[in-house]
Amino acid sequence: MQHPTSDSTEKIPLPADQGITNGLKVMSYVRNDSGKYELTPDFLWQPVSVVNHQAWEEIAKKITAARNKVEAGRVSCLHYYMIANQMDPGLVAQYTGQPRWKVWLHLVPFIFNRVPADTLRKYAAMYKISLDDLRTGRLLAPFTMTNNQE
Amino acid sequence: MLLLDFLHTQSAHCESGVAANLLTHHGLNISEAMAFGIGGGLFFGYLPFIRINGLPLVTYRAAAGHILRQIAGIPGVCMVEKKFRNRDEAMAELDHALAASIPVGLQTGVFWLPYFPKALRFHFNAHNLVVYGKEGNEYLISLARARFASGALAPKGKMYYLTQAPAELELAPHLVRGIQSVCKMMLASPFPLIGVKGIRFLAKRLGRWPQRLGREKADLHLGHVVRMQEEIGTGGGGFRFMYAAFLQESATIMQEPRLQECAAALTAAGDTWREFAAMAARICKKRGRPEDSYPAMVACLNRCGAMEEKVFAELRQWARQHS
Repeated sequence: MQHPTSDSTEKIPLPADQGITNGLKVMSYVRNDSGKYELTPDFLWQPVSVVNHQAWEEIAKKITAARNKVEAGRVSCLHYYMIANQMDPGLVAQYTGQPRWKVWLHLVPFIFNRVPADTLRKYAAMYKISLDDLRTGRLLAPFTMTNNQE
Repeated sequence: MLLLDFLHTQSAHCESGVAANLLTHHGLNISEAMAFGIGGGLFFGYLPFIRINGLPLVTYRAAAGHILRQIAGIPGVCMVEKKFRNRDEAMAELDHALAASIPVGLQTGVFWLPYFPKALRFHFNAHNLVVYGKEGNEYLISLARARFASGALAPKGKMYYLTQAPAELELAPHLVRGIQSVCKMMLASPFPLIGVKGIRFLAKRLGRWPQRLGREKADLHLGHVVRMQEEIGTGGGGFRFMYAAFLQESATIMQEPRLQECAAALTAAGDTWREFAAMAARICKKRGRPEDSYPAMVACLNRCGAMEEKVFAELRQWARQHS
């Protein structure tokens, strides 16, 4: 149970789409009958879910493409994890405190196999996977999409 | 486990919600819409050189921290704001404040927040939240990550808390000031990407997206614009409805029917934004009606621009008479 947050995670029925908020409470300013604004809970507007769905479909497409590329041996498994977590080499470099060109090199399978353990550990910690997963090139679903993490 | 005695009110937008909650905690009762208005939170900017997930940044509100900074400028309110380089130092400072039973506001990257809904965990770094207690080590690790998220708009461990707030506040001069600052941003910015000019600029660019980017990518860009406008946290209608709520509240405080009219006009503008979003969503879903097209959306955006120009010109005039 977590308290230190600004929004509680109580489960509430949503009229529009449960999928988006995943149980997070939503508040909106909505007009009442006399035209006066009131802070109303549980109000979600339909087109929001459409565009959100679109964004995630795009991400899913990219993830599948990345998986295929890794399985074909054209890139290292780091590429898959990078894409699955919606990152680019620049962002990975910032998070792991390395220059960008190094991250670029690590996307090459041949070089990735020779990456020192310390660097691998940084990647593993960032993506919340084990060192072994990276070494053996296991492609797990990103931690933001699984339930049993954190 | 540590929990402060903190009354938390659910809010529509993170930053104004945080501001209202912190002020309320210090004994100054203020609604979220009021905090949003006094803080001059409304804005428009189309900034294609800043990329979020590879898509251009469209913002309907002032930069993160703007509302709080404005509110900290009110005489009698004392706010401490800190940024950090070192993660441990930042977390120690947070513990320190909590130990002194001060609720703390943090800027975080939502990607690293475990409580956040899965579908919204993008790399977006300008989410504000209040910490008023702690429990569990696992959670704190995520929080440390979130506070030091990298990328566009990196929070750099920013934290802020109020040390003092007046018990009573004469709202009138502050809300006039807030309105003035928003009018200035919307009407008088020298940059073509900001304010009403920005809306028109976006309209122009949006009309060219299908030719420049191809249909599929244009639709993605379009979806992104709508997402920024209607995402949870905007109160819907790209914050226009929330600002209208603020104007209504101000009208009651100031006994001023003109503000009431402005609120109605801004609501109409918000409805036009929604019309645009609905059309865009239909196009993204590839279920466009015959009248839906990019030129139609351009016209819709231009209409929004014209409506907002009128509202803010009126507000500017009103504010001038009352300052």
